[in-house]
Amino acid sequence: MFFEQLGGNLIQGVVLGAVYGMATMGLSLIFGVLKVVNVGHGAFIMVGAFVTLFLFSSLGISPIIAVPVAFMVGMGLGLIFYYTTIRKLIKAPELATLLATFSMGVLLEELVKLVFGSEFRGYNWEVGKIDLGITVLPMAKLYACAGSILIAVLLFLWFKKTRAGSAVRSVVEDSEGARVCGINVGGAYALSFSLGIGLTVASGVLLTMFIPVGINPYMGGGYTLKAFVIAVLGGLSSPYGAFFGGLVFGLIENGSYTLFAYIPGVEPFALTRFLSFVILLVILLIRPTGILSAK
Amino acid sequence: MKQLPKYLPLAPVFAAYVVMFLIAENMEGMWQLMSMLLFYCALGQAFNVFMGMTGYVDFGYVAFLGMGTYGMALSITRLVQYEFLGVWIIVIGFALAMVMSTLLSMAVGAVALRLRGAYFAIATIGVNEGFRFLIEGARIWNGSEGMIFTADLNTILGREAAAALCTYWADIMVLVIAALAASVTLFYMRTKVGYALTALREDEDAAKVMGINVTKFKIIAFITSASLAGLLGATAWALKTPYVFPPEVFEIHYTIEAIIIAMLGGAGTLLGPVVGGLVYGLSKYYLSIFLPGFQLLIFAPVILVIIVLFPEGIVGMLKARTKGTGVERFIV
Amino acid sequence: MALLELKNVTKRFGGLVAVNQVSLEIDKGEFVGIVGPNGSGKTTLFNVINGVFFPEEGTVTFEGRDITRLPPFKRAPLGIGRTFQIPRPFASATVRENIAVGAMFGTQGRSLNVDGSLQIADQIIERVDLTAHRDKPAGALTPVEKKLMEIARSLAMKPKLLLMDEAMAGMHPNDIDQMVSFIKRVAEEENIAIVAMVEHIMRAVVGLAEKVIVLHQGSKIVDAPTKEALEDPKVVEVYLGHAPED
Repeated sequence: MFFEQLGGNLIQGVVLGAVYGMATMGLSLIFGVLKVVNVGHGAFIMVGAFVTLFLFSSLGISPIIAVPVAFMVGMGLGLIFYYTTIRKLIKAPELATLLATFSMGVLLEELVKLVFGSEFRGYNWEVGKIDLGITVLPMAKLYACAGSILIAVLLFLWFKKTRAGSAVRSVVEDSEGARVCGINVGGAYALSFSLGIGLTVASGVLLTMFIPVGINPYMGGGYTLKAFVIAVLGGLSSPYGAFFGGLVFGLIENGSYTLFAYIPGVEPFALTRFLSFVILLVILLIRPTGILSAK
Repeated sequence: MKQLPKYLPLAPVFAAYVVMFLIAENMEGMWQLMSMLLFYCALGQAFNVFMGMTGYVDFGYVAFLGMGTYGMALSITRLVQYEFLGVWIIVIGFALAMVMSTLLSMAVGAVALRLRGAYFAIATIGVNEGFRFLIEGARIWNGSEGMIFTADLNTILGREAAAALCTYWADIMVLVIAALAASVTLFYMRTKVGYALTALREDEDAAKVMGINVTKFKIIAFITSASLAGLLGATAWALKTPYVFPPEVFEIHYTIEAIIIAMLGGAGTLLGPVVGGLVYGLSKYYLSIFLPGFQLLIFAPVILVIIVLFPEGIVGMLKARTKGTGVERFIV
Repeated sequence: MALLELKNVTKRFGGLVAVNQVSLEIDKGEFVGIVGPNGSGKTTLFNVINGVFFPEEGTVTFEGRDITRLPPFKRAPLGIGRTFQIPRPFASATVRENIAVGAMFGTQGRSLNVDGSLQIADQIIERVDLTAHRDKPAGALTPVEKKLMEIARSLAMKPKLLLMDEAMAGMHPNDIDQMVSFIKRVAEEENIAIVAMVEHIMRAVVGLAEKVIVLHQGSKIVDAPTKEALEDPKVVEVYLGHAPED
């Protein structure tokens, strides 16, 4: 009984973990290239969720289509924020970009609240489910998981096979060297930032598959914290590290939930969220460069 | 007496607080507004001790106010049965608030203060959420139900005195804490602590090579800032509104407000939090009349503009303008 | 007893050996030039001496005391001062405050209060002729003034040993001469050992040095009185046969 439950939850954890991983790749990409921590990360996920909700509820458009739309919205937001703010702060003390990305998140939350109000919303995308015996997986979650893996592979190919991708990689290695080699470092920054935001907003679409009625302007805060845990698991500056960090985190989250549910007198959901905070501190304490990173 | 001129910059700060108090006392219907402004000045002043002076931003700052609120709440609800303690229960509450926020800051600081820049921010961003979920999840201190202690206050002090505490003395205590935070800030600025903090804010590695034990001074600022927050939570939240619910006292909203106030006024300056607190508090008050619920929609872009164009804030700009004039010595 | 002694110091970064089995001695009041091309491990060697990095192997001894694993902020008060290749002033603080910081935290054996440190700063400002800039924020100085300010700041520490990283890079030759003779004078008056690190064999620096140490790819290849060192064939080889610059 216990092991069936645990097994079922762990399968759910892998499926959710892949999406968590993809939802953190943008954060790691931006930190890896620009050394900017996007403290407003969760708010961009929230924007993706609202893009999905709006397309589905108001226009009847499938969440599958919402992924590229959200990605474009995110690229656009990324470019706007990069050129109005981030670009001017690259050389400023770190405090400036931390506060700036934080304020961007607040701004987005308030804008969405202005348009959509602050109550919790959701939508229902009926595409069936499959029964695995120990657990039932809605197809929507499987699509989200598959979509996350596909996007991660596409990003990998983009880095390896395109000129723009290798330009960004060389900037990560050595921005001065890249500049000397004629690479437009500013352009690579702008591209990476907007790509990172695009990925994050797109991930918001996929995450809605897991929260039937959890869409709200302030839903992002929790994801910011989770994304930080995942990112530091993966070494903070590597998008692939982040992806695997997501898988690990999904397993930890669902596994610990199963265990906490057996402790009498506690609220397992709240304890799971407390645990993620503890994991964050522990990793930062013993190995700030990440558990899963090679070096 | 030789030291006196060094502390002259406190004059405009105290003057502002006295004026607020006089307005509240003498003008009909102003008490509520003034108490809100004082809270924001105190919050900014306490937050500034760490964020402004070290250049590190603690996104989980509100957790220290939350701990202070719990400190007072625990003292009142657990000690109410010991009648002979009387008003001392409130005094013990303040002490407990300070101890609990200090302990939390030591625990967080032990991890976070070893980390630099971005990693520090990442370590702190979950502190308020983490603590909220610990209290709710493990059902500590009544868990998510929180505590309501209006009745306990009435038992301890009597109905009339309890009402006076909530509506009058709690605000006076906020004023005292604001003044205390300002005094501590200037005291630090005028002693080695301030020089060390300035040095490490500007260049941590160079500061180390100059013989500064940067970790020690960061801890001093962090604990000071946290314990002031604990006192503020104990009075502005626990005494003014005698109840405590985890989602409210760990709400990141207050950290956002503290950042806005410090940046608007001028991070790392003495006068900044007062100016920032007044500007933010007044705008929030009037925006809540004309555009209820959308203060942050206005302030988020304002902060972005400040960070990009005027990172030194209002007082920072005033400081540059008044250089070489008679008022220079008052604007710190 | 030597003031500073390094024994078989090795510092690696990953697979790269930045400093390889370096031993050296610096005596009280000595003026030593450390010469080596870019990437020869000079800055790493400085960082090992003042504690920014700890070496993997070897020991660092200062006045007979093993300081190999002492953090930098504890070394400064022993009397080890440092200037940086690119000056690192505390930009928002004034010149006076910057220099006072040196006196306040870096002074050996004495605990100076704020007023005492500011007084020392004032004396030094006069000495290095920065009086006109005393109350300016250090960030607003010209690069040469920043260098001067940084030297003043480390002199305020009353060091016994002053490590100067490319102290003269980017300066006009006239300024260099002036600066070097100033440093030399102060060092003699206060019995400060100076270790000046230069990329090229700069006449102004090396010419005044009593001893020259040459680093090449992390190893010490020459350690001799100046005249001998400059004539050493290995030095000529390192610099690809270039004659000493003048």
